[in-house]
Amino acid sequence: MSKNRSSDDGGKPAGTKKGMGGSFRSSRLRFMGLDSDDVVRAFFGGNATLAIVVLVLIMFFLFREGAGFMGQNATELVTYRQSGLEYVDYMRAEVDTFHELPRFLTDVESARIKALMADGMDLKAAREQAKSLHELTAGLRKIVRPLDRFVDGLSDYAIRMRDEYKTGLNKAEERANFLGDAEKARSRGNADKAASLEASGADVKVVGVDFVQKRRYLLSMQPEYLRLNEDLRAGITAMLDTLPYDDPVIGRKMTRLREKAASFIAYTHQTEARLANWNADKPVPFLYRITDFLFGRRWITNSFFQDWYGVLPLLYGSVLVSVIALLFAVPLGVAGAIYVNQFSCPQEQKFIKPYIEFISAIPSVVIGFFGVIVWGQFVREASGWSIFSWIPGFPIAERLNAFTAGSLLALMAIPTIFTLAEDALNNVPKAYKEASLAVGATRLQTTIRVVVPTALSGIVSAVLLGFGRVIGETMVVLLCAGNRIAMPDISEGLSAIFQPVHTMTGIVAQEMGEVVPGSIHYRALFLVGTLLFFISLLINYLAQKIMRRYSIAEK
Amino acid sequence: MFRKTIATIALAALCAGASAEQTLVIKGSDTLGAKLVPQLKEQFRATHPDVNFEIAAEGSSTGISAIIASTADIGMSSRPVTEKEISQAALNGVEMKSIVVAFDAIAVIVNASNPISELSADDVYLIFTGQVGDWTSVGGQPGPISVYTRNTASGTYKDFQKLAMNMDDYAPSSQKMAGNEQIASEVAKNPNGIGYVGLAYTEMPGVKVVVIDGSTPSKASVQAHAYPYARETYFLVNAKKVNPLAQQFIDFTLSAEGQQIVDAVHFVPVN
Repeated sequence: MSKNRSSDDGGKPAGTKKGMGGSFRSSRLRFMGLDSDDVVRAFFGGNATLAIVVLVLIMFFLFREGAGFMGQNATELVTYRQSGLEYVDYMRAEVDTFHELPRFLTDVESARIKALMADGMDLKAAREQAKSLHELTAGLRKIVRPLDRFVDGLSDYAIRMRDEYKTGLNKAEERANFLGDAEKARSRGNADKAASLEASGADVKVVGVDFVQKRRYLLSMQPEYLRLNEDLRAGITAMLDTLPYDDPVIGRKMTRLREKAASFIAYTHQTEARLANWNADKPVPFLYRITDFLFGRRWITNSFFQDWYGVLPLLYGSVLVSVIALLFAVPLGVAGAIYVNQFSCPQEQKFIKPYIEFISAIPSVVIGFFGVIVWGQFVREASGWSIFSWIPGFPIAERLNAFTAGSLLALMAIPTIFTLAEDALNNVPKAYKEASLAVGATRLQTTIRVVVPTALSGIVSAVLLGFGRVIGETMVVLLCAGNRIAMPDISEGLSAIFQPVHTMTGIVAQEMGEVVPGSIHYRALFLVGTLLFFISLLINYLAQKIMRRYSIAEK
Repeated sequence: MFRKTIATIALAALCAGASAEQTLVIKGSDTLGAKLVPQLKEQFRATHPDVNFEIAAEGSSTGISAIIASTADIGMSSRPVTEKEISQAALNGVEMKSIVVAFDAIAVIVNASNPISELSADDVYLIFTGQVGDWTSVGGQPGPISVYTRNTASGTYKDFQKLAMNMDDYAPSSQKMAGNEQIASEVAKNPNGIGYVGLAYTEMPGVKVVVIDGSTPSKASVQAHAYPYARETYFLVNAKKVNPLAQQFIDFTLSAEGQQIVDAVHFVPVN
């Protein structure tokens, strides 16, 4: 081995030495005026430039595709308003809000049956016992039915109007394409082709939709709506009088229901006012086209009614999963780094360091698969153990949830945090430690009071980079986070971490395959990508900033 | 010598080109692409051994957009193409043609331990739109309902909205799973779970098919149009430019032999 190397070394210097001194040697190979050193330099420089150029191109592509969202969203929102979908949506929101009342009653009934069954009653008898509640719920649902049907009818009307309008737009574009091609063919002197293209263009039937006229029907239904609303309120009030407020078991819940019903009745009045003030031609505020994305609480795609691209539930999911991951990864990673750097003997170091770094070699899809098959199931089973029964929300229903995904993602953050934190600890000047020991501090005191505080900036940036690693991770969250797109229910409190969530990376991976390039959905996904890009950029920037600002010069 | 080499290379390129033409790209519905089309492919290759298949099953919308973008010879879809998509295709110079190849029924499944075995169509509507959130409301054991649906790329997602949900949006609390298999396995492991799958997946262990308004999804009930959640499944082609090989494959699917395979993988034959 050593023999080989020496012969290699022996061969090279001879060549290079001669080459260096011999720029005047005529035999030196030159290509386009460059000698070999220049070529080598150009090769490395070129690679660096190429990498930068590709990155810039990717960024440009990302921004360009994402930026188109705003214009399209403005058009969508105008159509939403013009076609009267917004008008109908107010009524739909009212009906949806109403359904919280029977849902609440069902929860009461469910709890009642559960309590009875816990006392040893069987399901049938318990249901029989709670029958009055069940009938009450059914009665409540019946009250809203006429309004529900009425709103459904109006929805269908508005949807049809919108779809006709959109088809009309596409057809108009198709015809314009034909006519444009015909124009081109004519200018090239191909009259036959131009004529046939023109004929095809003429075949495309464009049906325009007169929104003003079609909306008139929607608006003419307002008195009917007011009448149904009045009936609904009367129905609710009549029902409230029959509730068993004095019942020792459910009386309190009934009072709560009465409060809820009162706030719903107030809501119906608000809706009426909104409908009365509704104006189809009110312009959509300019900023709304982007705030609708950034602060929107609904991500609903492929809906028959109206698609919404609000990133908030996805952002929430991404952040929640990442925070859970960091809750595990920070103590483990940082403590591990401190131990390895300060306390362990060399043999331990030799074992622990590569071992932890090895974790990052596990492909994320394998971790995700493990999560689906083993870990999620285990988490759900463990949540049923009696020692955990004090935790709110336990036992959990869903095995795929934010906790399952977050705890697995911790595995991917640990190597990043560990390695970088260990580097930071290593960078603490030896003199600090020695000085501390020299004045009589123990090893533990030195570590806690001197070494760790000195390395703190590095550790914080390690944690930030770990966060960046986790928030950009896709496979594990796609498989294990449960894919529920909803804002968290605040009333659930901490148990929200055991609820399924959907993430920004997950949604891009899941929906990219189905979108038609150039559509608003496609652009919304790019905008999600852009947002992720900015989040990562911010995290990395902060990490570097903290590192530079607070780090101690080694010299 | 030199000329000979060039000629050989050209010939090789030509052969490569010719054999590339023998590749049939099929994209779209997971319902069709998981079992039916691969099985059809196997049988088809018995008579056409030199044909290569490229099958990607990621949801009906992917199949439709593949036909619009001309990146597939055949699109698979478990839902009808919408008016919007047809006009979008026309914009790209594609004339979308759909061919019914089989019927499929969507079965509603619950966990095998769930005491409920029958639901009304109205109950199903209430459950999937999230208007009821507890099994108590539909006569079951108390407990919050966990709703599992397909994700938005799936034709089943939209079809179910149309067939069972009066085109309303899904409950925000529903969880979007990537495929039939995932829904079935989640429902099998969650005593409070409910979901829907294609007929082929109803025999997974741990799940139970729910009778809807007294009708069970089966070949007979679907062909008799008695079961409410049944639908047609389609192959899509660009009628302006049909690959002859694709046409042969479609003809094979519709032949008696092809329809036998349809039956064997738990779809319902068209006749």
